Formats: sequence, structure tokens, C-alpha cells
Amino acid sequence: MNEVNVDIKINGKHFSAKAEPRQLLVHFIRETAGLTGTHIGCDTSNCGACTVLLDGKPVKSCTVFSVQASGHEVETIEGISKASSMTELQKAFIEEAGLQCGFCTPGMIMEAHYVLENNPDASELEIRRGIDGNLCRCTGYVGIMNAIKKVQKSNK
Amino acid sequence: MERLERFVRGMGQYVDDIKVDKPLYMAVVRSPYARARINAVKGAMLSGNELNASLASVGEGAGGASANPAAHPILARGYANYVGQPVAAMFSDDRYKAEDLLESVEVDYELLKPVVSPEEAISFEPIHSGMKSNVISDKFVGNDFDIKADIVLEDRLENHRIATNAIETRGILADYTYGRLIVHVSTQSVFSIKRGLCGTLNLPEDKVRVIQADTGGGFGLKGGLQPEHVIAAYAAMKYKRPVKWIETRMEHLMAANQGRGAIGKMKLYANRSGRILGIKGTIIVDAGAYAEGLSGFAPGFIAHQLTEQYAIENGYVRAMSVLTNKAPYGPYRGAGRPEAAFFMERMVDMLADELHMDDAEIRLLNAAEKPFTSPFGMHIDASKPFMEKALKLLGYSGAKKRKAGLGFFVLVPGAAPGEGVRLQVKGGKLHVWLGSNQHGQGHDFFIKKLVKEELGVSDKDLMIEVPDTDLIKSGIGTWGSRSAMVGGSALVDAARHVKEQVKAKNGKYSQKLLLEGDYDYSEFYKFDGEINSFGANLAIAGVGPANGIRALEVRACYDVGRALSKEMVKAQIEGGIIQGAGQFMGEEIAYNEDGQLLTSSISNAGVVRATKAPKCVVKILETHSTLPDKARGLGEAPTIGTPIALVRSLEHKTGKRIKTTPVRPEDLL
Repeated sequence: MNEVNVDIKINGKHFSAKAEPRQLLVHFIRETAGLTGTHIGCDTSNCGACTVLLDGKPVKSCTVFSVQASGHEVETIEGISKASSMTELQKAFIEEAGLQCGFCTPGMIMEAHYVLENNPDASELEIRRGIDGNLCRCTGYVGIMNAIKKVQKSNK
Repeated sequence: MERLERFVRGMGQYVDDIKVDKPLYMAVVRSPYARARINAVKGAMLSGNELNASLASVGEGAGGASANPAAHPILARGYANYVGQPVAAMFSDDRYKAEDLLESVEVDYELLKPVVSPEEAISFEPIHSGMKSNVISDKFVGNDFDIKADIVLEDRLENHRIATNAIETRGILADYTYGRLIVHVSTQSVFSIKRGLCGTLNLPEDKVRVIQADTGGGFGLKGGLQPEHVIAAYAAMKYKRPVKWIETRMEHLMAANQGRGAIGKMKLYANRSGRILGIKGTIIVDAGAYAEGLSGFAPGFIAHQLTEQYAIENGYVRAMSVLTNKAPYGPYRGAGRPEAAFFMERMVDMLADELHMDDAEIRLLNAAEKPFTSPFGMHIDASKPFMEKALKLLGYSGAKKRKAGLGFFVLVPGAAPGEGVRLQVKGGKLHVWLGSNQHGQGHDFFIKKLVKEELGVSDKDLMIEVPDTDLIKSGIGTWGSRSAMVGGSALVDAARHVKEQVKAKNGKYSQKLLLEGDYDYSEFYKFDGEINSFGANLAIAGVGPANGIRALEVRACYDVGRALSKEMVKAQIEGGIIQGAGQFMGEEIAYNEDGQLLTSSISNAGVVRATKAPKCVVKILETHSTLPDKARGLGEAPTIGTPIALVRSLEHKTGKRIKTTPVRPEDLL
């Protein structure tokens, strides 16, 4: 298959590589950029484990081709993490038992981060709708909701 | 960095995250047919002709290495018996190309008529040559009885199959260096994987090392060894390169072991006062295409706990496990316990309706007022005091107006034969290895608490180590609600031994003396006793447009023995409730009459989303057990109690008798 040039700015840094046009963004992120915090949980865009921000908006990176993201900006869990300490949202996930096995967590945090940034007054239902495309098999979403609401409250 | 911090920062090391030099990616050619003769396999890099082995049975309920005709061939030889069965494997240094290579394999299939229903399979021609029938286990438990009863009620009840659907699918990275097979794997038990690989590939124990990668949920499936693990391990030895296999979700839905899938034909004997005199019936477990792990054990286990919290004097059940042309059966959180509770509680509710009695009243009438041994051999403490307390804590009388459903159950943990542990003090740190490894249960929390209590060692001086068969020699694994009970007790017992060693050396014990020393203590804490615990749920179901079924609220009251971490106990219960709600609302792996899979995605399989999650209310009771850490089983409780309470609530709301999970909209017509 003919390869194409792909250049994506991920977490503020440019990554350029030749890639097959069929390559999924999630594989570019994980393998070309080496950022394995973004996970793969399904192949049908249902689970949301691969959620990243593409030009500021959440997308499921298993359903975007790398070439489609070329020339655009991507932010991943590594990008929103601070070097030395955790963000308020990351801390809240731990304090409120918003994670157990941890596999859905990076995607869930990216989506929650987006909801909090873009709809600071989101209602309970709006938050739930926000994370409705991010499946968690462990927590029953109770700890996740409590974590998001805790940060929402402290932001005010 | 702490485990949870690594996870929220995206620094987990799940199998697919482990970087190795030049891995080979594995892709599996799978049968598109539920039953077919395989006349030829052409163009495969690896097929059953070369890898001529069958799966050793390891893990929960396992019977060891199996030479029986229903043992699962690693790669199909001569026949394929379920959609998704591994037939051949291809390898490439690029994961996309590995999948492309599947196209180059030609398999000549000759279609045979499959059997999908376990009831039909009993009299259907044997799907495996060398067998007389498809029945792989058939036994009678309890004692036959003939009694005069005012009322005899009969029904056929069923829990359809469910995929475990951890968000991380199965995965393995196998490497072969210096004559040793080194395996990193997403697992509930490094020991099962090691024993299984040694047993299947005939490898000496010292040639295999298994290390647990961060594991993104297991829910039963990851307790054992499956064919794909063996294929990857074999290929690593063959190509002398690291081989990585990461299951796709589609593969998971079609080929990973599935749980539930049990039918109960029940007959309840009672008098007009509501007293239950006896229970008879037939339990049929759908074993799928091959006998492995739990499939032979499951029906008897369901029967064992059938009487739940009730003092029912007579019981007699035929317990059968039957082969069908579907993915093999395996444990799913609860693993027989939810089925037993469903069969019993559905019959108790039927009796309540027949006699127009209150749901709680009929249960209290049949409760055990003193310790009771059931006709199936299950020991319980007096259940009535628990029931009375739970009804109050759950707010039963108030919730009746909202048409709440009630359910009681006994949690029989898989605690035997105990658990392994190693404590090592070196360089001022206490290192802990536990044979039962975590994949979301939060073992960290109880390890920290117990180490602090027993040895006074604080978190900063404690290293919780990754299970690695080179570093901890004996252990079992995590399933059957066993870890806090026997894992925690093994840790307490070992800590007390180490404390004695410190005292023997120094004349006294202090945390400082411990950490200044050099200690290395391993033990296998044996436990073969029976410590069961009680649980109750109260739930409110709803019916939306087009008979859309909802779980609105689920309240839980469980006796956990001793809550080693209240926060984690609560979180485990909430997570289990949503799985129980999923079983009620729509979780199912469905097949058509040709054995073709009708479930095509994780959403389609019914995994519950945030907007469909019920409100959870959790009440914890702590009747200490006799174990060193005083805990009882917990993990599976909510998957047992949630479905039974929800179906009862739905009956109260709709007036329709519910006989199956998941409840389908057409069940309400």
C-alpha cells in the first residue's frame, strides 16, 4: 500500500512519519508517538477507551485515520497530565474511586475534561450524556460521576 | 508511583503497552461456521497439523490436564465446532499485515448441522467423535423424596449467555530467550497460565516464567488458559521472537469463554401457609463446544447452593452440563451463584403470588432460625436475623409502594484451597507478593491496611509487587470472591510469622527492627473450610417507551465479614450492581439456529452505559468471620442479588411473570 506523509501535533509536539492511508489515529498515537496512555477497547467506536481531543473536540481515535488528523492537533491523557503532580480531575478520580482496573480511565478522563471545560454548568444528565460513549465495566459510573461533580463544584 | 496514579496519568503497562524489540503480531484464522468438517487448511503459517495439542484445564473449577474427547484443540483438527474457533494462525512484524495474511489462508469446510440449544443437544448426535452423547456431566444431588404438599409449582427458568467484556480484551506477549518462555499476560492468575502452558505444551516448570501485566478487568474469563495463549507461546518458541496477540472485541464476543447460559426446570413443594417443603429440578448448563474449566463443575455448584437462605428440608436435583456448537462456557462474575439465586427466588416469588403473600413475609417464614445444612450439603448460619436487619436497612416497607423487588442469597466463595504469599524485607523496604493478583479489585487497599495493622509498616516502606512466577512460587489467583478472605488471611498469617522471626532475633518487635533486617518468608496459607455470607437486594425497575426495560434503583445490604476498606467495598458493590443490572436489562450473547453470532459489538452485547446506570444505595454489615483477617466474600455478591430483585420489581410493575434474563421487550407483551 502506498504510504503517505502524516504530520500530527500531539500534546504540542510534532510527530511526522510515513503511514499507510488505512492507519488508524490510535495506532499513530500509540506506536509512532509512543504514547500508550490511549487504549483500544473495541473496534466499533463503542467503548471510548481511545478517546482523545482532536482540535479540542473529543473523538474516538480508533475511528479516525491518521491521515485525516494530519495537520491537526491532538491532545491525549499524557498531554493533560502535569509533569510533577496530578490534575484536580485525576486526583478526584482516585479519591472518589472513579477507577478500578484503570483501562477505560484515560479515555474517560479526556471526555470528562472536555465536558468540564466546555459546559461548566453541566447538569447530572448532561455529564452522563457526555460520558455515555465511554464504557466502564468496573465502577457502575458512581465514582466517576462523583469525581467529575467534585471538580465541577471546586471550579466554581 | 502508586498504581492508581499511573492509571489516571495514562502510565499503565497493560500487555499491549509493553514495548519489545521486533515483536511478531499474531492474527487468528477463525471458523466462520458453527459446525464443519475441515478437509484442508492451505497457506497457514501455523495450523493444527503442526501444533497438535489440546488445552489443559486450569483455573477456576478446573479438572487438570484433559485427554477427554471434548478437550479443546489449540487449533482445530478435522472439525470446527463454534463460530470463532481458532483454525490457524498468521504472524507478521506489522499488526495490519498480520490481519491481511488471514486472507491468504484457504480452509476447505464441509458444513455439518450444528446444535445450538442445550436441551436439544441432550438427544442430538454427539458433536465430538469418541463420545456417546453431548452430555459431559450428569449427576443427581440431594435425595429423592415423595411428599404430600398442598401446592406444587413448576417453571422453566433461564439465564442467557453473557460475555465477560472487560474493557481490556485478552492479550499476551510471549518471548523465548535463553531456553526459557517468558510470558507477560493480562490475567487473574499467573499460576493458571503457567500450569496451563506447561501442561499443554509439555514444558518443564522451570522453563516457563509468567508475569502479570496490568490487567484491565477480568470478570472470570482471565482466570484460565485459552488456546490463543498457547498459540502465541508456541510461536515465540518456534520463531524465537517475541509474539504479541491482542484480542479484538469481535474476537472476544465470538471466541472468548462466555458465562451464565443455564436453564433451571424447577418444581417447588409447599403448604398453604407458605412453608416450602422441598425443591426438585433439572439444571442444564450450556458447556459450549468443548469441556474446559468450570463447565463440568458448574451445574453441581448451582445445585449446591439452590436453597439459598431458606431452611428447605428436601432437595433433589439433576445437574447436567451439555455440549453445544457455541463458544466454550467459562466463569463470569458470579459463576453459578446468580443462576442458583435466580432459580430459587423466582420460585419463591411464584409461591408468594400463588398465596397472595408479601415477598418479605414468605421469605421470613422460610428463613433458617438456626444454623442449617441443606439437603445439597451447604452450611449456613441462621439467616433470619440477617433478613430482618436487611429489610430494615434497605427500607423495604417504604419501597413497597414503589413496587420494589426483593431478593436474598448466600454467597459461597471459592476460597479453597487457600492462597500463597511472600514477604521480603530488603534495603529497608517490605516487599509483598500475593498469589491472588488484582485487576480492579483494589488489593492494594487491604494489603496496606493489614500490613500496617500487623507489622506497623506504613505505605512509604511498602512495595506491592507484581505477580511473577519466578518471584512467588505458589499461589492460586483471583476469582470466586476469595482475595480479601484468603489472600488477606495468608498475608496476616505470614506477617505474624515474620514478626516472630524479628522477635526471635532481637528479643522484641518493632517496625524499625523489621525494616533494618533481612527477611524472606513464603507460605501457602491453607483453607478448606466453608465460610458463606448473606446478601439482600431491593430494587426498582421501570418500563419506558416500546417496553424499554430500565433498572432505576438498586439497594444492597451485604455481610462482608470485615470491610478492610469501606470505600473499596462500596465501589466493588456499585460496579457489581451495574453488571447485575446489565444481566437484567439486556446483556446477552445471542446465536441464531445456525449457531451464527447475532451480537456484533460491545454495545450490542448490552454493557451498560452511564445514562442507563441505576442509582445505587449500599449498606454493609460486618459479622466477622473466623479467618485471621475476619473478612468474608464480597466481589460477586451484587451480580447475584441485583437481577433477582430487579425482575421481581418488573413483575410488580407489569403483572407479567419473568422467566429469563435478560428481559426482552417481547416478554412484557
